[in-house]
Amino acid sequence: MAQQRTDGLALAEKYYTEYGSRARELKAAGRKVIGYLSALGPVEVLTAAGVVPIRLKGSVSEPITKADAYMETIACPFIRNVFDSTLKGRFNYIDGMVMPHQCDSTDKTSNEWRYNLNLPYWHFLNVPHLTDDSSVDFFKSVLGVFIKSLERFTGREITAAALASAVAAHNENRRAMRALYNLRKADPPLISGSEMMKVLVAAMSLPVEESTALIRSVTEEVTQRPAPAGGRPGSRLMLIGDQVDDVAIPQVIEGAGARLVMDDLSIGGKIYWTDVDATPDALAGIAERYLRKVKLPTTFVSEGNTYEENLEARFGHLKRRIEEFNVNAVILFIYKYCDPYGFEVPSIKGFIESAGTPVLYLEDEYSTSTLGRVKTRVEAFLEMIA
Amino acid sequence: MADQKTPRALATQAAAKIPRMARANLAATVKAREEGKKMAYSFIVCAVDDIMRAMDILPGWGESFSGICAAKRDAERFLQKAESDNFSRSLCTYATCSLGFDMWREELGGEMPPSPPWGGMGRPDMILGSAQQLCDPRFKWPQATQHYLRDVPVFVGGMYYPPWDPTIDDKEQEAFYIKYNTEQLRACVRFCEKVTGKKMDWDRLAEVVDLTDRTWNLFVEAYELRKAVPCPMDTGDAMNTMVPISFMLGTQECYDFYRDLFEELTQKVAAKQGVAENEKYRLLWGAGLPSWFALGDFQYFNSKGAVFAAETTYRCGEAVYRLDIPKTDDPLEHIAWRWMRPWTHWYDKARQRQGSMPEVERLIEYIEEYKCDGVVFHSAFSCRSWHAGIMLQTQILKKVYRDIPVLIMEGDIVDVSSYNEADTRNSIDAFIETLASATGR
Repeated sequence: MAQQRTDGLALAEKYYTEYGSRARELKAAGRKVIGYLSALGPVEVLTAAGVVPIRLKGSVSEPITKADAYMETIACPFIRNVFDSTLKGRFNYIDGMVMPHQCDSTDKTSNEWRYNLNLPYWHFLNVPHLTDDSSVDFFKSVLGVFIKSLERFTGREITAAALASAVAAHNENRRAMRALYNLRKADPPLISGSEMMKVLVAAMSLPVEESTALIRSVTEEVTQRPAPAGGRPGSRLMLIGDQVDDVAIPQVIEGAGARLVMDDLSIGGKIYWTDVDATPDALAGIAERYLRKVKLPTTFVSEGNTYEENLEARFGHLKRRIEEFNVNAVILFIYKYCDPYGFEVPSIKGFIESAGTPVLYLEDEYSTSTLGRVKTRVEAFLEMIA
Repeated sequence: MADQKTPRALATQAAAKIPRMARANLAATVKAREEGKKMAYSFIVCAVDDIMRAMDILPGWGESFSGICAAKRDAERFLQKAESDNFSRSLCTYATCSLGFDMWREELGGEMPPSPPWGGMGRPDMILGSAQQLCDPRFKWPQATQHYLRDVPVFVGGMYYPPWDPTIDDKEQEAFYIKYNTEQLRACVRFCEKVTGKKMDWDRLAEVVDLTDRTWNLFVEAYELRKAVPCPMDTGDAMNTMVPISFMLGTQECYDFYRDLFEELTQKVAAKQGVAENEKYRLLWGAGLPSWFALGDFQYFNSKGAVFAAETTYRCGEAVYRLDIPKTDDPLEHIAWRWMRPWTHWYDKARQRQGSMPEVERLIEYIEEYKCDGVVFHSAFSCRSWHAGIMLQTQILKKVYRDIPVLIMEGDIVDVSSYNEADTRNSIDAFIETLASATGR
């Protein structure tokens, strides 16, 4: 079995490079594999259903050659790229997909995925954008519809016990990842940003127990080895964005002499910092986490009696991470055509800068074709803050 | 400096009234404070029109203002203002145009930016956003606006409908969707009561809801007169006559407008008076918001004998008597049903045709009832809400219905830099040739 290996970083490298290879093996062994997109993918439910969840990713180095015939170029470049990869057969082992309603680019292209991929299973999970009590109740009902639909597909009941067990397993997984993140607090960090990216990507391609074992194995390995060389002291960076899932950007940052010590990405900091509370009704805890605890720009947060208090409710966690990880500067990396992230650039940038941390805002593509431009901007930024 | 453009000629007297009405709407927002009225920034298809009207809250519509800036070709300076604070040009330009205006007015201490189109918009007392399956800017735009208008309270309510899924019966989900939407409307009432310091008059709300029902019925009945050959009003006019239903719903003036339109179209139909001198081709505007700076393109179609007999855009409701809404004494619950059912109205039809989808069933229904020869879509680069998904509609339409001529035009709603008149008209010419070949006319 794959997890018997102890060299965690090598295994992460393998799963990063051969993305989805473990899911493919499990499919060959008779398991059903369900793909999903975004930080709102309800992994606890998928695990409880006994299917193998895999978060889909694209390929930043591959041009979009098929998707443009079926999907508008005004959609999110990440979504277009993943759709392109899927059309080309990269995930030809998946039995179905669940598409959480995160943003317009997931909502409005959902049927383009459904009709063109024609997978045996498809479900659009109608996640609301609000966090009040009635929205949490509503989301519980939406999850209930999803569960029934998944049960029909798998022919297997998703029991309360299975849900509770899945919640525990995913919480454990998040705890393990947080422990690994903590090793980045050291100066220099015990694991580089590029290595961490590979672990994050590998982790989202595995069943939860295997993912946890991988993370622990990496943690053990990096704790025991000397800290990686490189990176100027005093240039500890944090990367904020949605699904940045390739080493290209971390390599640009680290290649320019900085240390990437923290992130608030949708495959990293955004999902690993919050657990599902163990509630008598597991769905209540799941709904609560995805709506109230996972901080995404697609969720409207109304907390706070003043605008400043509202900013604290939306972005206060970033300030705390900046302090905990001794971050000196932030790169805000936003994909073009992204309304949810794009509309909060002035507020998030201003919030972080108000605490004395400089921010570089980059709007770019999900593609290495623009990497030269990114490199120039990052290098200039690092010079400016040196 | 605004680029002067000759306005599009209008076919109906009703549409000719619109500039005055839209201008009066804007002027009212500017005067609201001195007249002691509360004003709310609001967003089209928000479902809270009845609540605002029943509570004497004056709506100020960002989409309307930005559309006017675009139509006057005077949006660029506001787009640039927004861009100066890192709002990308790829974001919704309705929002960025209006944000640029707000930023500028705040910098001037509340004074209007120089020569604002049609007098500009007033500063709001509140912002009523809406989280839906429809459009991310409806809740991100209010949040972004508050960054500059920090003292202005924001409410965002959720209004959802069961998503299309051929394997799941949407009717089974309606109860919890209606419960949720009604609770959200109730929260909106509480918010408005807090900001205005005034309690909701529930009897008055019930009257407004009834007026809105009757307005929707009349609106649809008036528009259905366009089934006549020759067509008495086309989409070019409908992009004007959308103003009352979109921005004045729940008012007597809105109802009266469609009553007049109904009468005018009835007379035109009786007199066989059409939009085009020689109506050769009838078209459906399949989806997409228009390029407000290039409405003259509709006239270009007309000059080729092509008339848009129907459109899906700005027809976000249905005659209420066709929606089979359960009886309720709660006006908010009625609003919730009236808001939700039009979205799911074509689900049953879609289930009955293998491989179809609701949006396509709606297109097929309009193509047949309005005797259309082709379908035109517009894809605006800054708007994912209405424009992503168009390619699938054309693909499915051709697959499950017939190989009907289709044109997808590309541009934007507000940003004129996306527009090339020569290219657009070349593509229209080519489409007309396709229509000629397909129809033999």
